[in-house]
Amino acid sequence: MEVTLLIEAMDTSFRLMEDARRQAVDLLNTAVKLTSETRTVEEKNIQAIFTGAQESKSGFQNLVVTFLMLFAFWVLLSGKYDLFHLALGVICSLLIAYLTHDLLFANVRVGDARVIAWRFFAYIPWLLYQIITANIYVASVVLGPKQRVKPQIIRFKTKLESDISWVTLANSITLTPGTITMDIRDGEFFVHALDKKVADDLNAGEMEDRIAHVYMEADHIYVQDALDVAPIFGELKKGL
Amino acid sequence: MNEFLFSIGIGLCILVFFVLYRVVYGPGVFNRIAALSAIGTKTLIILLIIGFLYNRVEMFIDISLVYALLNLIGTLAAAKYLEMEGVKQ
Amino acid sequence: MIQKSDDIIIKTLARILVPFIQIYALYVIMHGHYSPGGGFQGGVILAASLILLMITHGVKDTQKRISEKAVAIFSSSGVLIYAGIGVLCLVLFGNFLDYSTLAKILHVDPAHARSYGILGIEIGVGLAVMAVMFSVFFDISQGESSGEDKEN
Repeated sequence: MEVTLLIEAMDTSFRLMEDARRQAVDLLNTAVKLTSETRTVEEKNIQAIFTGAQESKSGFQNLVVTFLMLFAFWVLLSGKYDLFHLALGVICSLLIAYLTHDLLFANVRVGDARVIAWRFFAYIPWLLYQIITANIYVASVVLGPKQRVKPQIIRFKTKLESDISWVTLANSITLTPGTITMDIRDGEFFVHALDKKVADDLNAGEMEDRIAHVYMEADHIYVQDALDVAPIFGELKKGL
Repeated sequence: MNEFLFSIGIGLCILVFFVLYRVVYGPGVFNRIAALSAIGTKTLIILLIIGFLYNRVEMFIDISLVYALLNLIGTLAAAKYLEMEGVKQ
Repeated sequence: MIQKSDDIIIKTLARILVPFIQIYALYVIMHGHYSPGGGFQGGVILAASLILLMITHGVKDTQKRISEKAVAIFSSSGVLIYAGIGVLCLVLFGNFLDYSTLAKILHVDPAHARSYGILGIEIGVGLAVMAVMFSVFFDISQGESSGEDKEN
């Protein structure tokens, strides 16, 4: 809670400082005509510092993480740990990581990746437990009289934001017996459910909350935001 | 252990025959594609059980992985072709 | 022409799966001695990964990744590696594709030289198979769209 307030305070203060800086630069630009060219060049430099801090320069880090994941997969597959095969693994992983490193981590910022991975591995046992209980319930419904099956289609909008969390939610719904995700159109999920009890379990929204916790959308700070802001503090002080 | 796995394999083969009914008699092509994809999932487990019975699991894990991959890509390609057919008409 | 699919689920899944499929294909090529696999099977799995990318992301995005020129170079270099190793054995006073003569260059005993020779050939075969399967799929999908345009 305090951290949220702190981040909001920092955000407002940055906005105030940026407004003040912009007004000061405008004044200088209109006042001095001879040196106006050098002024705009300096303003471009300060602008570059702001935007450069926000795009994460994570191309190289994406490459390294992809290489490590692919090499771990290779070692897992191949049972031979002598030097020749490990060297072959390093060469192959390097080649494929170089060709496809922008595919795997397109939207995730690098400072968050460790937290997300740890929370994802903690989410999987809960999902397995849900699958087992839903399995028993659906088996009891299907083996019973035919009137107990009342299929229905549910539409709902989620509060999740990024595409990976949408895909995780859709796959978890399909993996749980009794519900199948049919389509995602304009941010709305179309889910086909077998029975009213399964539909009620879905509408309660516990799965959504857990996935929002996994992909750090329920928290109020992002680790990478704090890492981005820290180095430009000094530049801001100098540029004013 | 071998007998237990063998009986599970036989049970899965019987389930495959039930789904095969839908492949043969399914009205329309979408039923057939979905039933083929379902048969593919059972086939994976039957392959692994055969690997256990012959005592060479490592070899059959490779084969199962490849078959899972081909199942996925086959279903996606068939669905894409049928979508384009509908658009052309 | 295969259009870009507007379904977000298969686009994200294909994007995440393709590197792992490709590393699995290279594993199958390299471990041809010890488990089922080898050059042809690995090449087919590599081509399958590219076809998955083409089905979900459309032809234009896939061509940005691997252009037709690169595919042609791959197929030719695959055959070059195969024939090159054979001719290398010929130059070293052996028969064509007699890998034991490679022991002079690599400084290992003839049994290991045979193993490395076969590995080199499998890599060439895998590259050629991947390039040819990808270009066949691409040409068939192109030809179909231009054929129907002529009808209309």
